[in-house]
Amino acid sequence: MAVAAASVPRAARRAAPDRRLALAGAAFAAPAALLLLTILLAPLVVLVLLSLTDYRLGAVAVRWVGLANYAEMFTDPVFRRAIRNTFLYVAFVLPAGVFGALAVAALVQARTRTRSFYEVIYFLPVTSTLVAMATVWQFLLHPTLGPVTPLIAGLGFGRLDLLNDPDLALATLAVIGLWQMLGFNMVLFLAGLSAIPRELYEAAALDGAAGAIDRFLRVTWPMLSPTTMFVTITTTISAFKVFDTVVVLTRGGPLGATDTLLYVLYLEGFHYFRTGYAAAMTVIVLVFLCALSLLQARLIERRVHYA
Amino acid sequence: MLTRKDFLLGTAAAAGALAAPAVRAQAAVTLDVLHAYPSFARFFTPVAEEFMKANPGIRISFRQILPNYDELHQALLRGALTNQLPDVAFSGFNRLPELARTLSARNQILALDTLIADEGASWAAENFSPRMLALGKVDGRQYGMPFNASSPIAYYNPELVARAGFNPDQFPDSWEGVIALGAAIKRAVPQAMGVSYYINSFDSDWLWQALVQQGGGRMLSADGKSVAFGGEAGLAAVRLARRFVTECGMQLIGSDQNRQQFATGGTGIIFDSPARLAVITNLVGGRFPLRTAPFPITDKVNGGVPTGGNAAVIMATDPAKRRAAWEYVKFSAGPLAQKIAVEMTGYLPVNLKALAPEFLGRFYEQNPNARSAALQMDRSLPWEDYGANGPRIHRVQQELLTAIMRGDLAPEVGLARMVRETEALMRAA
Repeated sequence: MAVAAASVPRAARRAAPDRRLALAGAAFAAPAALLLLTILLAPLVVLVLLSLTDYRLGAVAVRWVGLANYAEMFTDPVFRRAIRNTFLYVAFVLPAGVFGALAVAALVQARTRTRSFYEVIYFLPVTSTLVAMATVWQFLLHPTLGPVTPLIAGLGFGRLDLLNDPDLALATLAVIGLWQMLGFNMVLFLAGLSAIPRELYEAAALDGAAGAIDRFLRVTWPMLSPTTMFVTITTTISAFKVFDTVVVLTRGGPLGATDTLLYVLYLEGFHYFRTGYAAAMTVIVLVFLCALSLLQARLIERRVHYA
Repeated sequence: MLTRKDFLLGTAAAAGALAAPAVRAQAAVTLDVLHAYPSFARFFTPVAEEFMKANPGIRISFRQILPNYDELHQALLRGALTNQLPDVAFSGFNRLPELARTLSARNQILALDTLIADEGASWAAENFSPRMLALGKVDGRQYGMPFNASSPIAYYNPELVARAGFNPDQFPDSWEGVIALGAAIKRAVPQAMGVSYYINSFDSDWLWQALVQQGGGRMLSADGKSVAFGGEAGLAAVRLARRFVTECGMQLIGSDQNRQQFATGGTGIIFDSPARLAVITNLVGGRFPLRTAPFPITDKVNGGVPTGGNAAVIMATDPAKRRAAWEYVKFSAGPLAQKIAVEMTGYLPVNLKALAPEFLGRFYEQNPNARSAALQMDRSLPWEDYGANGPRIHRVQQELLTAIMRGDLAPEVGLARMVRETEALMRAA
């Protein structure tokens, strides 16, 4: 009894500094936590709440509509078309953007004297603002004034109107998107390549890895896997968010062939002022992006080799 | 020696000197003004300067200019929520009904009817044609005072017209005539487009409404509640749209690409806003002697053209600011301000007195290309508004029009679908 009575205050005495330490820790973390809450989490909650209403910008009355916005979305032909177009776009830009950049990086790295020249050339599109380039693209792809149509006709493909033919417009935007991101991905791969230690190639050569393909498959590719994972995920996200080319070059046309998720979302939110519906679309885009990134991280993580 | 009396007098004088400008500043009213399109600053600024010269007690301060009417509209709706509306804003005609209805429900916009009545019985009639004033009316009340107005005109290349064997001084005044001329240009210069009427890519439904209204049709019934373009005039309009492609060699390209091609001499005739006169003249440079003509109108009795542009609305709540805002709005719609705006852009004047020799009379003698817009001033019809779903409706209509022009849909079928889908979207709003 006496022992117990004596031990309690001792334990309390020991716990007091711990609690004070914990409190101090919490106090230091509080500003950051508060910032996270106000600029990231609270808006997300507001977004989800808005997506359950029929709110229009400027409206006085708001009605709770439950999941009606989500139900409408999946019967909305424009939204379905936008999903289809966005996935087609990603399906082209993602592999071409990752493997194309890897190929370019491998080739550029092999140059010694002209390396920086090629680096600058490939990186130029990244630094150009697309809105300023739009006029140039419009002119280049102009069916009667631009040089591209006669060039393609000269190759025997007939006179194609790359921006105004519904069958070709999305592919044209995808090529322009690729042109924009290739240089950036190339720089990332170049950084990854220069981080690979030379001894590994010598060791591989000693072990009998003879040709360039062998060296690439045994050393370069596994050692590049962290870079590849990063490039794949960022390319997916940026391809998914394709927007500026659509706004300045096609505005979703012709016949909705270039309607993409973000463009339709922008129209709903900022042209039609259907804030509630646009919020629901934003939630869906967020879910898509998170799911895709998680899936890729899971799949690729298994094969990533961190040196 | 400094006495106490001197000191007191001195401080009083100093205080008086300090207080005087403060009193004057208090008497002066500053108006917060918002308008769209950064390029419009070149006439908004001189108009404001002239106004401040004439009204020393009022200062005009412009807010950050917005890129277009849609973003202006959006900014005003946001401002209404946060109580940060400007005192005066220049709203696009096509957005005015939506704006007035939203803001009047919130008591944040001033109807101008009593202010106009207070100016005297004859003031309105002496300055404005009833059709022009009607552009600022919403649900029977005058919420906006027209400032810039324009209706589509024809721009043509007289060299191509001459090569087709037509007289460049006599632009056709009927659409059959336009098609015949366009087809002749296409025959004479096979790589050119005879006519381009780019409703497939124009950034609003303005040109499409023009094609219906010139034939005596209207987009909506008089009460604005049901679709009215499904009849004869609408059918004639979609048939014309298809014939531009089949007979005049029109290609379905973007509106900027169209202007580029016209400017390089690759198109005979295009139709666009007179507000673009300066832009298109610059694009053409000296390649050919650019000419303009009024928009052909088939139905000479009921036909007309939709009016684009903007109207001033007053959102100030303070009585002194409201009085000052009305002075500014009145001045903007007056002959001097109109002279400044019209000479800079090619817009048509909203004020009847502005046509007098001391204002715009000389200008029109020297700039015949600017006259086309003024010639059709009495043809002004409202740019009809489908309500809250207007921009969505335009997008659906534009797709169906493109399908009709491509030949994917027969004109009758396409028109019936346009009517059906427009009605559905109007009900859904």
